[in-house]
Amino acid sequence: MTARSPRAQPLGGGSLLLWIGGAVLAFLALFFLITVILRQMPDPIGPRADLFVEGARMTLQLTVVSGLIGLVVGMLTGIQKTSASAWVRAPANFFVWLVRGTPLLVQILFVYNALPPLLQSIGIGVQLNEFWSAVIALALNVGAYNAEVIRAGILAIPRGQTEAARSLGLSGAQTMNTVVLPQALRIVVPPLVNNLVALLKDSSLASSIALLELTLAGSRVSSESFQPIPVLTTVAVVYLALTTVMTLFTDQLEKRVKIASR
Amino acid sequence: MKRALLTLTALALLATTAQARSWDDIKKSGTVRIATEGAFPPFNILKGKELTGFEVELAEGLARQLGLKVQWVTQPFDNLLIGLNQDRYDFVIASHGITPERAKAVDFASPHYCTGGAIVAKPGGPMTAAALAGKKVAVQVGTTYLENVQKVSGVGEVKTFPKDTDAQAALMAGRVDAWVGDKFTGLDLVKAQKGKVMQGALLFNERIGMAVKKGNTGLLKELNSALTKSLSDGSYAKLSGKYFGQDVRCRG
Repeated sequence: MTARSPRAQPLGGGSLLLWIGGAVLAFLALFFLITVILRQMPDPIGPRADLFVEGARMTLQLTVVSGLIGLVVGMLTGIQKTSASAWVRAPANFFVWLVRGTPLLVQILFVYNALPPLLQSIGIGVQLNEFWSAVIALALNVGAYNAEVIRAGILAIPRGQTEAARSLGLSGAQTMNTVVLPQALRIVVPPLVNNLVALLKDSSLASSIALLELTLAGSRVSSESFQPIPVLTTVAVVYLALTTVMTLFTDQLEKRVKIASR
Repeated sequence: MKRALLTLTALALLATTAQARSWDDIKKSGTVRIATEGAFPPFNILKGKELTGFEVELAEGLARQLGLKVQWVTQPFDNLLIGLNQDRYDFVIASHGITPERAKAVDFASPHYCTGGAIVAKPGGPMTAAALAGKKVAVQVGTTYLENVQKVSGVGEVKTFPKDTDAQAALMAGRVDAWVGDKFTGLDLVKAQKGKVMQGALLFNERIGMAVKKGNTGLLKELNSALTKSLSDGSYAKLSGKYFGQDVRCRG
């Protein structure tokens, strides 16, 4: 193997670890920076800097957890939607129709307020707290959008690829795993990243169920100080900082998966 | 650079030139714009499309005395005083407890009732300030209840909801151990839930006042004199009796 060979592979385990480690470090540095800067600010912001940082941390946590679950949901549903069997397609179609056709705010309120009594009535006694209610709603929501992205990615792979793989004796699952999905992955990374950035901003709707994330932290401060201008500006800038650092790393990811195909 | 400066100046002007309508302007137009929340029974509550409640009827009575028609505006509670400072309406009547922080931002009329923040919990739940230690408490965002619950030493988690009714729903669903809110609203909830919840100790007392934009003294004076008149001519007592079965005016 020559020194250049790693570039021909999509993304090895080692470099993926490095990438995750880099992202974690970058966010830690960002939170440190935000804390330091916000503490220097004049009245409505400075004394309450920690509240904003706590809110930002919760926003990121929500995004990462529901983003990961949403990726799995989207992957499964997306593949299901490309199935030849109508019985496999139907539930996936139903799920996407339901989630994509209703507002996220309603979904969050539904999971938080309506799901526990519904589950109770069929004998499942779970008490979803604010965080997991928000995660379920956000993950299902982004999952439905991811499903469409992944379906489009799979459909973009020319039929000949599947036919060639099958004629070489690969099974349907093997064809999917080793031929179609690796190629589809490159196509779907940019729109998936798009969904992730949208998810980070959509997580602000979790403020409606008293989850203390960035938006609720802001509205607490704004209603205490009656100064919406500095508070909303701060909230917007922190969101911008979070999405900026996030896209910095997802751009790297896009570059890496691209190299192998160009 | 020059353009940036100009833009900044324009923005600064936009932010400062907004003028509150003076009493003369309001009198001339014949209509007063009053804001409230509409989610705080029995003080201000939207029943279907109709806005009603003790404060709503009181404010309509005051406007009648002043010879004005009323245009109601309903807004989320934490937006009310911010909107007042942006002249979206002339005054706010929404059970605002008079606090030094709020008095810095707006001017308050004389209190139109006195109340307190009380604990409400399910039977067996915390009923006193001391019992709140380590417990989860629901309050509405932007209220005096939030500040005062945070002052209770050892209190567990304080959850802030957009509306009081959401905080109460969290109590009923068992998501929190207690809800802290107005004692009269609490009594209403106890009555409506028929023994599923109980009212505990008062955490603090407060005086409730209408708010006008800082410096709008003309309007403030008219509101105060109309309020004084309704307190003395029996119309206040009648209204208070209708809603609470007692006179809720501030004493002393």
